[in-house]
Amino acid sequence: MLTVEGLSVRADDLELVREVSFGIGPGERVGLIGESGSGKSLTALALMGLLPDGVTASGTARLGGRDLVGVPERRLKDLRGRTVSMVFQEPMTALNPLMRVGAQVAEVMTLHGVAAGRARERAAELLGRVRLPDPERIARSYPHQLSGGQRQRVMLAIALANEPDLLICDEPTTALDVTVQKQMLELIAEVAPALLFITHDLAVVASLCERVLVMYGGRVVESGPLREVFKHPRHRYTEGLLAASRLAPRGTRLATIPGAVPAAGRFPGGCVFRDRCAHATETCATAPALTDPDLTGPEPRGDGHAFACWHPRR
Amino acid sequence: MPSHAGTPAADPARITAGAPATAGAADPVREPLIEVRDLTRVYRRPRTSLTRPGEAVHALKGVSLTVHRGERFGIVGESGSGKSTLLRLICALDRPTSGSVAFAGREVAGLPERSLRFLRRSLQIVFQDPMSSLDPRMRVRDLVAEPLVALGEPVGGRVAELLDAVGLPASAAGRYPHQFSGGQRQRIAIARALAPRPEVLVADEPVSALDVSVRGQILNLLADLADELGLTLVFVSHDLAVVRHLCESVAVVHDGLIVESGPVDDVWEAPGHPYTRALLAAVPTLEGLL
Repeated sequence: MLTVEGLSVRADDLELVREVSFGIGPGERVGLIGESGSGKSLTALALMGLLPDGVTASGTARLGGRDLVGVPERRLKDLRGRTVSMVFQEPMTALNPLMRVGAQVAEVMTLHGVAAGRARERAAELLGRVRLPDPERIARSYPHQLSGGQRQRVMLAIALANEPDLLICDEPTTALDVTVQKQMLELIAEVAPALLFITHDLAVVASLCERVLVMYGGRVVESGPLREVFKHPRHRYTEGLLAASRLAPRGTRLATIPGAVPAAGRFPGGCVFRDRCAHATETCATAPALTDPDLTGPEPRGDGHAFACWHPRR
Repeated sequence: MPSHAGTPAADPARITAGAPATAGAADPVREPLIEVRDLTRVYRRPRTSLTRPGEAVHALKGVSLTVHRGERFGIVGESGSGKSTLLRLICALDRPTSGSVAFAGREVAGLPERSLRFLRRSLQIVFQDPMSSLDPRMRVRDLVAEPLVALGEPVGGRVAELLDAVGLPASAAGRYPHQFSGGQRQRIAIARALAPRPEVLVADEPVSALDVSVRGQILNLLADLADELGLTLVFVSHDLAVVRHLCESVAVVHDGLIVESGPVDDVWEAPGHPYTRALLAAVPTLEGLL
């Protein structure tokens, strides 16, 4: 349904996202993970046509037969909020503080041609659908009168208002308490038509998604079915992330990845992870391609588990 | 309990507390260091009517806890639980409505700032977001030395020593906070906190803003420093799993009360309070999901 091929994002001379390709089928939930600075949010913004000034995307992204990249703003306006919509990390900055919540949910429908009266009715319906108690009262509230979890549900109601084909969530639960996060994740799983879920939290992705893309240095370094990737990671970066996510018993050292994510443009040439990788050799000065060895072997299995590493685990 | 009223400088044992002499691993009977008794704090919401006062918010409803010398004590709770209020009161950054906070046997609740020098020296804080807790216009050298300058102590070679202790190169001293990554900034904040050789390091969600690969580096650093310097650690987090890795004891705060406390392994394995159980069930873990 969503097909992304060779998506790159550039700012002047800097290539921030490079040759990202993936697909999402109807009803599928795909996680996009990586540390801050890995290019996950830029990938999402490129798909939404919301890149900041001076940052441009190339490559193709098609959703239900319509192009998302390289089309003029006036066409994007039509798609955004209708065919594809997005929930951001911080609902307080994404909501208009001067406008009642119900009106904000209705607005996204009237913008796409729904009559005002009908939009108002449906707004209350939607607020109920995201399980806000007393949706009529919530609709009359201003964002500051709601809790963080309630605001994020309002964001979700806005995103779902026009029955989009694809929902993109960028760290939607990072600012929430864990008990609220759990309810929010369950709700997203229930209502998302097809989902691209961005997070740095591996456990959150594992609780929600079927497939996962691991990004580092603006590239997808590993992708495949979630259980397969998390149980048998091949790329050394994925291996490091998983090890660092496990909290060892008290008194023992935690596994870490040495160093820190470099600033944009400071990643090494070749394999982007090689300056932090214990297994790197001279070979790694050449960029490895994202490949699925099962497809090139004598007996192609094709579970879609691909990685870009010269010295994979195992 | 040695009394050291008013003469902090004449109290070398206290300043270097944490040094191996006082805080060896063999420390069978631990003395209480921080004692909180029946602490309450009521805030008033801003008034919304001319005739009635603002609504009262009971942030803490009678909290008692004891942190022993050399202990690693975790405080777990969600936003609105009162854990931040509790922390502010322990650090004497706020005054309780009632109840007492004693540090090494001395009451600190309600004292004026000028009487709190001993506490400012003995107890230091690392905050959640190093980007907002470090002055962007100060060089690392000055940031790390500032607590010493404030206490009127010689800085000498202490900055280089501290940067080394937290794993930063000496060249970091001449740079500004924005030139560092989130993990490195948290190391700067830790170096700054350790400058006056505190006995207690209070860390308020120090790893929540960090990426997972860096989280381990900072947690390892805190554990190492606590061992080497014999620090007492008060570690606030929303994540019981992180607390379990680092701390021995835990208090779970919910709705202004400590609903459960004790050795962290006991609480983890057999949570007694429904809220603790809900909290544990809500945290997704890789082990549980794969």
